Amino acid sequence: MKKVKSYLLFISIISLIVSCNNERTVAPDRAVIAISADLETINPIYSFSVDEGVIDETLFLNLIQFEWNDETGDLDAKPMLALNWQWAPDSSSIVFNLRDDALWSDGKKLTSEDIVYSFDIYSDPIVQSRYYGSFKNLYKDYEEHIDLKKTFEIQSPYKLKINFISGSTPSLLDVAFPIIPKHIYEKLDRKSISTSEINFNPISNGAYKLKRWERNQMIVLEADKKSFLYNEEMIDEIIFKIVPDYNSRVTQLKKGEVDFCELIKPADTKDFTDLKNIEIKTIKGREYDYIGLSNIDIEKYAKNQNVYPNKLFGSAKVRRALLFAINRKEILSEYLDNYGELVVTPISSIFKSYYNKELEPIEFNPETARRLLSEDGWSDIDNNGVIEKDGVEFAFTLFIPSGNPLREFAAIVIANNLKAIGIEMKTQKLELGAFVENLYTKKMDAWMASLYIPVPLDLKTIWYSDLEKTPNNFASYQNAVSDHILNLLEKKTSIQEKRGLYLKLQKNIFQDNPVIFLYWIDDIIIHNSRLKNLTINPYGALQKIWEWKIQE
Amino acid sequence: MKNKLYRVVFKRIASSALVLLLLVTFIFLLVRLSPGDPSQKFLSPQLNPQLAEKVTKSFGLDQPIYIQYYSFILNLFSGDFGISYNYRQPVFSVVKDYFFFTLVFSFISFILQLSFGYWFAKFSFYRRGKLIDRLLSKISIITFSLPSFVVGLILVYIFSVKLDLLPTSGIKSIYFDDLNFMGKMKDYFLHLILPMITLSFAGIAVFYKYLRDNLNTVANSPFITSLRANGFSEKKIFKNHLVPNAIQPLISIAGIEFGILLGGALLTEVIFSLPGMGRLTINAILNRDFPLIIACSFIAGLMMIISNLAADIIKIKMDKRFIKELIN
Repeated sequence: MKKVKSYLLFISIISLIVSCNNERTVAPDRAVIAISADLETINPIYSFSVDEGVIDETLFLNLIQFEWNDETGDLDAKPMLALNWQWAPDSSSIVFNLRDDALWSDGKKLTSEDIVYSFDIYSDPIVQSRYYGSFKNLYKDYEEHIDLKKTFEIQSPYKLKINFISGSTPSLLDVAFPIIPKHIYEKLDRKSISTSEINFNPISNGAYKLKRWERNQMIVLEADKKSFLYNEEMIDEIIFKIVPDYNSRVTQLKKGEVDFCELIKPADTKDFTDLKNIEIKTIKGREYDYIGLSNIDIEKYAKNQNVYPNKLFGSAKVRRALLFAINRKEILSEYLDNYGELVVTPISSIFKSYYNKELEPIEFNPETARRLLSEDGWSDIDNNGVIEKDGVEFAFTLFIPSGNPLREFAAIVIANNLKAIGIEMKTQKLELGAFVENLYTKKMDAWMASLYIPVPLDLKTIWYSDLEKTPNNFASYQNAVSDHILNLLEKKTSIQEKRGLYLKLQKNIFQDNPVIFLYWIDDIIIHNSRLKNLTINPYGALQKIWEWKIQE
Repeated sequence: MKNKLYRVVFKRIASSALVLLLLVTFIFLLVRLSPGDPSQKFLSPQLNPQLAEKVTKSFGLDQPIYIQYYSFILNLFSGDFGISYNYRQPVFSVVKDYFFFTLVFSFISFILQLSFGYWFAKFSFYRRGKLIDRLLSKISIITFSLPSFVVGLILVYIFSVKLDLLPTSGIKSIYFDDLNFMGKMKDYFLHLILPMITLSFAGIAVFYKYLRDNLNTVANSPFITSLRANGFSEKKIFKNHLVPNAIQPLISIAGIEFGILLGGALLTEVIFSLPGMGRLTINAILNRDFPLIIACSFIAGLMMIISNLAADIIKIKMDKRFIKELIN
């Protein structure tokens, strides 16, 4: 009897909880964006990841807003905190007229002082901001800290002049940084900004402000009615919901628990095509996979920093042969369901002003590959199925970061393709941290990875010959002509001038084949069709969120 | 008896402190010797290469390893595990929120595992040799063998996708703030049903299997036959003699199981987006957040020691002869 009573009590409690009234108060409009990992910070000084960048751009505005121009394939600058600007005729300075209605979320006015202070903080070596060392055209001291006196002239609370180093080639990108509140940060010890409370309760100047951050659960932004960007049609709350498991994200998207999700796998798009409340979009040409091949002998380089050609991959002809030997289209159609396109050079077709249309993608052709290898002296003398030259067999290990099914699939296809022309390739998976370390310390002859192309274009950080100054040139590609072009590109500002240089650079890289370019991978975005007025283009999937609307 | 118990506890605390020191030392060396570097996220084509150098210096990672260890030990004895490289907060203020969730979540799951394990074992024992007994035994093996991510995904598919009865992930809804008190309770409850089942599934099978087998072994002992011959009722024999004897070996297993639960349940936490220690630890490892890795390992080790100590104390309380075994 006692047992029956306790069972009944237990069942009654459960029933009470489940059946209890959970009526809601008037619910605000909400858009839910699924992200895969929690943020480490929402302080723009330290934000590194893409998601952190998106939230920061929503909370902290810049002087100017960059927008993608589909016709030119480049960025256009639009006013944001600055109403307008005026360049000096010789481009040595720029004067910004600021909005006088821009407010911080605590109600204080945003002025020129905040802008100067932001640059001061970002360039202060003590602070260790992510922007440290990014101010190449501004006056700085020996520690890269901006010389405030030389650089800034505050002409009024809403008028600011910025001077650039004479002879430099400045652009609006030199001053496009999120602005942080001086009246908050000046109270903090600069050494301890990274650990201060402000990282969790920011005072922002954007259309949204932080309402709540629940660790590993969600980040809730609410519309800031004091913002000059505020309008009644804005969505009341934007929620970044942290869903680490990919399958859970897809399920929640189908169920309508989340409204927006990026990086959907091509195979999963089929499940969404028949759903009425769903829209599928893609961003093309920002990220490509490639097989990195060390152009130099990494053992000799490690010993004395001297550069000698790599025994296997030092010859451009061999690298070209490998490109002919790999059936990239097969991987593209089999695994990526054609959500992508073959890479010709590191500039994709979305950069319409700079893309070299004359260069055609190399087609799969094992015969040509064999011929090129033979011309370079490679042949199977001992008839063991593997070609050799000067007693060295063409056998190598391809390293791939673990946990990427596309690369695992591609590695199998590539190994088979290369075997057909007498090259033995083994695959080894490495944990991502170890893989990245090996890239920077040049410990691998061959690897498969991806590269994300920045907008606006910047190829110098990857393809410049100086291996000390260009640690991201993992393949150790060296070409004097390419260097000359890359140096010239830094000094040119007009699209026409840059266009000619980029066309030449692409031709040069195409001929050299420093790496095996594989395919551009589309970023597949799926969102609930109740979300309207989204701006999705190569500049990003999540931008200008304050323009989003909900239409049930 | 009390003195002996204190002696056991004191001895255990002293040896545990040494174990913990060795554990954090081992982890300290391991994370530094393994490939990967905390400053690697500061290496990017978009960032200045000098930034990574400055960050490495500020973490103290440019120092020889023995100097790093010396300052680590000094800080450790003042209770300072350092600042998390990624969260930029003292590691224990990062850990505390995740640990609280794990503590509550694990405790409920542990109680469920014990209760259901006991209930099924009792049910099965009373029907020993029958079809249902054999069936439960087979099912328990299958249940134990099923990885938790498979169980979790199946449950989500059935109860969330197909039947639309329960939420797929998280510990509360996005409209949680709009709910009244009872609504909030219901919201929590509904969100925790599937993760709780997923986490407890294998544990129930383990406890069931152990207890069921032990009950069988004890039931065949001569003293039980003697009790039966003396006319004791089956109910009394079960409650007063069978269960106390059968449950003793299980207490050690329960101690270990609870310790493991408190260290975090990574797969369940990932599938259901729960803010627990498992996710925190794995993210710390992937990001090479050395202070946080050490703090998480320390907490996991400490919990394992405490839960084992608690299991031993319970065993002593149940059978005083066990204290001799521990002292020796």
